Order: sequence, then structure tokens, then C-alpha cells
Amino acid sequence: MIRMSSWVSAAGLAVLGIASLGCQGEKKPEGAAPTGSAAPAVQKPADPAEKFKGQTLNLLTWEGYADPKFTKGFEEKYGVTVKYTYFGSSDELVAKLKSSPGVYDVVSPSSDVAYPLVQGGLVDPIDTTKISSWGDLADALKNLDDAKKDGKQYGVPFTWGPDYLIYDANVVKEEPKSWKVFYDAQYKGKVTLWDDISNIYLVGQIMGLDKTNPAALYNMTDAELAEAKKKLVELKPQVRKYWATAGELNDLFKNKEVVLAVGWPLTVGTLNKEGLNLKGVIPEEGATGWIDRLMITSSSKNKELALAYLDYVTTPKAQALVFEATGGYCVANAKAKEHMSEDLKKSPCVTEGETYFKRLNFWQYVKERKKYNELWNEVKSAK
Amino acid sequence: MDTAPAAKATVHTQNPPKRRALLFLVLPPALWLLCFLVLPYLGLFIQSFLGSDDLGNVVLEPTLDPWKAFFTKTLYRSTLLYTFKIALTVTSLSVLFSVPLAYFIAFKVRRWKELLYSLIIVPLWVSYIVRAYAWKIILGREGILNSFLQWAKITDAPVEAFLYSEWAIVIGLVHIYTPFVLMPVYTAFEQIPRSLVEASKDLGAGRLTTFFRVVLPLSLPGVIAGGTFAFVLTLGDFLAPVLLGGTDNLMISNVVQNLFGTSNDRPLGSVVGIVLLVVVVALLETTSRAEKSFASLESGRGRLGGAR
Repeated sequence: MIRMSSWVSAAGLAVLGIASLGCQGEKKPEGAAPTGSAAPAVQKPADPAEKFKGQTLNLLTWEGYADPKFTKGFEEKYGVTVKYTYFGSSDELVAKLKSSPGVYDVVSPSSDVAYPLVQGGLVDPIDTTKISSWGDLADALKNLDDAKKDGKQYGVPFTWGPDYLIYDANVVKEEPKSWKVFYDAQYKGKVTLWDDISNIYLVGQIMGLDKTNPAALYNMTDAELAEAKKKLVELKPQVRKYWATAGELNDLFKNKEVVLAVGWPLTVGTLNKEGLNLKGVIPEEGATGWIDRLMITSSSKNKELALAYLDYVTTPKAQALVFEATGGYCVANAKAKEHMSEDLKKSPCVTEGETYFKRLNFWQYVKERKKYNELWNEVKSAK
Repeated sequence: MDTAPAAKATVHTQNPPKRRALLFLVLPPALWLLCFLVLPYLGLFIQSFLGSDDLGNVVLEPTLDPWKAFFTKTLYRSTLLYTFKIALTVTSLSVLFSVPLAYFIAFKVRRWKELLYSLIIVPLWVSYIVRAYAWKIILGREGILNSFLQWAKITDAPVEAFLYSEWAIVIGLVHIYTPFVLMPVYTAFEQIPRSLVEASKDLGAGRLTTFFRVVLPLSLPGVIAGGTFAFVLTLGDFLAPVLLGGTDNLMISNVVQNLFGTSNDRPLGSVVGIVLLVVVVALLETTSRAEKSFASLESGRGRLGGAR
């Protein structure tokens, strides 16, 4: 079996090289400055801060992971520019990374796709001795196997958090106890789900599949998948819209289209600043969660700068800013607490820490991902 | 290329520079077509017969699985059919709006003709996404339409069926594609000799009879061309379902986008792409034949003209 790098197939297999010579005139990474590709190894400047001056770092991240609140510090420190592209789902990350090699330097995969990225050679091992705060990052995150290969570490823990139930507390007066509130006739057409296969995990939880084995959600049998599909189709009349980006979810709440959602703390944090009264809760069935690590792509042209970014963004101060910018995503560096405002310290990440971590069923690699994706499409096309 | 001119040189007295000029004329479009049409489609075609591994990489193993998947799973067939349904609805409505409007501008308006025509074309300058968002603002739960209906006491609660529904998609697309239909229809109306209309009236036909027996048949090529635009563009649309559609309005291009951009199933995505291409090419061929057959009406040898 010959594995091909996917851009070859994207450019049209049959082209047999001719096309790649003749037809690919414009293969410039979007927004990447030409200076970015200058090899830093050749020049040997004395001051490390001068070394990267004028370069551009390209992030491919979840929404909220390129907030100027914390990227600015890095830009100023090294005199570089941080550019970013958001992805709306884990699958989109993989697809984007595969179809445009060399464009992105740092990616923020969640725990469901870390494994294929590492195994597929899309990311490079990380020299953890260059990460000054490595020792302070939570062991529970560093010890995960999915970002390791041949004893090497491929990911630097960044943040973690839940896909929990968000409700508009002005409309839903009582805190929902169970995900079943989504099926409540009272909220018909007032629910929004993420346009992502994680909904299959969600109904799996409602079905109680992960009571004894958390991994069951990610390895459902055909019968369980059929049942999950039935449950998701049943839920459709209740659902107003499947949101594709955090921005779209914000609009749905702001325009009063929905009052119940599955989402991330980012939404609650962002919208409550704008005067809404949203609350997030982990229902009795539990919630799934994600662990996001930062990785350096193997096709990156700015690997040293990328490593400098990982070093910067895991320092206690930067992590506190990440926590603030994302509206309370739990951060990997426990020392970040020292730099947080009193208000933010009330977050369950700080007050409950480990117990909070244990309440979440963190996304895992889904071997039958294609099947899960097809099922989700079938749900969407069902009338 | 080298031998052909030499062989023909005895017959034609054309000088070589002219031929070279011809070559320069033909070469750029030929290269363009090769690079951006032939080769990509060839690649797509070959890719549709390959497998992919667990990590979503295409592997060089010939297989018919993607094609089998397309034809056996209802997801793809039913989505394709649903897309046809939407495309038909959008096309019919666009034609229904365009014909009277174009007729009005072409035959009834005298002074402000250019201005009116431009007013209809101007929305084409506005980005698709902006227009789709505008519909979001109009149709939303707290949108302009609902606010108006409540203010006018026609409804007492916001109607939620406007936005995120099939109708929102149809409304959005009709708005976006109507100018595409109107342009060829208007051009067809403009080209009808006014003497024919006068002759029809002289022979005692009323306005309606003149319209249906003379004007409309003569403008059919324009209507068909415009309708084809709307149909094909709708067939390939994936933004309207994303922005305006609800939870059950998946269209075929969303599936393609999903197969390439999310599921990482390039072979199957290629299959859908090729099927869509075949459908569109067949459609274009049919409509271009229809256009030609109706275009010959003018000379009296066409289908409708010859019958009476």
C-alpha cells in the first residue's frame, strides 16, 4: 500500500507531474509573509529577540485561540506577526492541514484527532526542554498517550474544557438537570446543536453508553449507532439550527433564535460581556470534553518560531490571559492562577480542578470516523 | 504540428507568420482549459476509483467502493433529488418573476429603461454573502418581517418558520439568481422586431394572445438560457443551506463540501462531483438544443411556428 501525501491527490493524481509544474503557479500560503521562509539557521544574531524579527507565524486553531489579548505579547516580544485561520470542527482541521501543507505552523488539535495527526506524520515531535513551563503543565495532560510516538512528545498541553449545556437563564428559569431538556416540547425550535459528529457522543451519553466505559462513546456498535441516529432524528423538530462556528452560535443567542445549546464556555463568556444572561451546566448524564494541545506542523517553515510561541503561550502569565480571553477554558499551567483576577478564580477549573476534570468524558480517537461522519450527514438529510 | 503545415503548404498559399499568430491565439485558451478543466477532472475521475485509509489518505488501490457507496446509500441519492427539487423551484420562481419584469422594461417603459434595467442588475455587484445575511436579518425571529407583522397586528408572536427553512433558501436564491434569468430574457425581448407585434395586433390578436403566441415563443431561447443559469447555479450552491437553511435542508454541494472538508473521503467526494458534472453537462446539452430549435422559430421552420 502506497500512501500518498494528499495534496498530490488534490492537485489531480493523473496530472503525473506535468500539472504540478505547469499549473500550480500560485501556491503561496495565504497571508504568509515572504520573509517568513527565510532560514533562521543561516544567520546567527546575538540577541534571540532579534532573531525572528519580521517573521509571520500562522496559527490554525479553534475560535478564541488567537485572541490578541495573549498573542500581542508574543508579537511584541519577538517583533513578529501572528496570523490565524479558524477551523470549525476537528475534521476541518485535518482536511485543511492536509490540503494546504506549508501554510500553517501551529495547530490546536483536540483529543479526538491528535492521534491521527501524530501517526500520520502531519506534526513534528517537540523538544520539551525548550518549553520553560513544561514542568508546571498538568501531568494528567502530559501523560496522555495519543500525542506520543516512539517515546517522543508531539503536543504541548494548552487548554481543556467541556461541551456543556448552555441555557439562556432569562428564559429557562430552572437549571436543566438533564440533557433530556432538549426534548422538552416547551423548547421546540429553541435548541441548537453543533454541526459536528460530537452530537453522536452526546446522544450516546443520553443513552448511558459511557456509564462503565468512557471509550464506548467513541467505539459505538452498529446497533448503537442506529439507535443514536434515531434519537438525533427525533430531536430534529426541536432544533432550530445546527451551528457551524462559535460566531454563529453567538448570533443565534443574541437574536433570540434559541435558548438551549450545546457549546463551550467561550460562548457564555463572550455573550455575558454583551449583556446576555447565559449559564453553562454539566447535566447529570455528564458531558464530553476536549483537551487541546498545540502542535507544530511537519510542513512548517517557521519551526523555531513556532516553538518559541509554544514556550510563550504556556507561561503562567500568557495562560492566565488565555483563560480570560476564552471566557474560562481551563488552562494547562496551574500557576496561571497567580495572574488571574479574583472574579475569574471562581471558575470550576480553579475551584474544583481535578474533580471537574474527572467529570468530563474527553474525546478520543474514533476509528470509524468516516461512519460517524456519514451518520451525521444522514441525520442532517433526514426529513 | 510540425508536419501538418508542411504537407498543406502546397495547397494553401498562407504564409507561416499567420499560422504562428493563430497558434498564439489558440494556445493560451487551450493551456487554460488543459490546466483548469481537463487535468483536474481527469484527476477527479481517477481519484473516484481509489480507496482511502483510516487516516483519510488516498491510497493507490483501485476499487469500485466509492461508486458502490454512492449508488447504494440513500443519503446521496435522496440529497441529489432534494437538490433538484430546490433547483426546480428556484428556477420556476425566477422565470416567473423575470418574464413579466423584463417584458415591462422592454415594451412598456420608455424614458427610464436603462435606469430600471440597471436597478435590477445592481444587486449583482453586492457579494452573495452580504445578500444572504440581509435575508437573515429580514427573516429572523426578531427580524424586519416579523417586527412588521407584529406591529401591523397580523401576527401576535414571531413566526419562526421564515428563517432556517426551505423557504428561506428558496427566497434567498430566487433573489440572488433572478438577475441572471432576467438578463437573457430581456435581451430576447429587445430583439423581437416590433413589426411582428404590430402585425399580430393588426390581425386582430389581443394583448394576451400576442404575448403568448408571438412574444413569448420568440423569447423562449432567452428564457431557457436564463432558466439554465438559475438551475445550474442552484444545483451547485452550498452557502444558502448553511446560512439560511434549517436542520433538514442538506443539498448535494454541502455533501461534497463535507466529504472533502470534513470527512476526508476524497474518493467518494470525487464520485459525487463527477455525477454532478455529468448531470450538468447533459442538462446544458439539452437546453442548448432546445434553444436552437426555438431560435429557428423566427424563420418559420421551428416546432411551434411550423405547427400552425
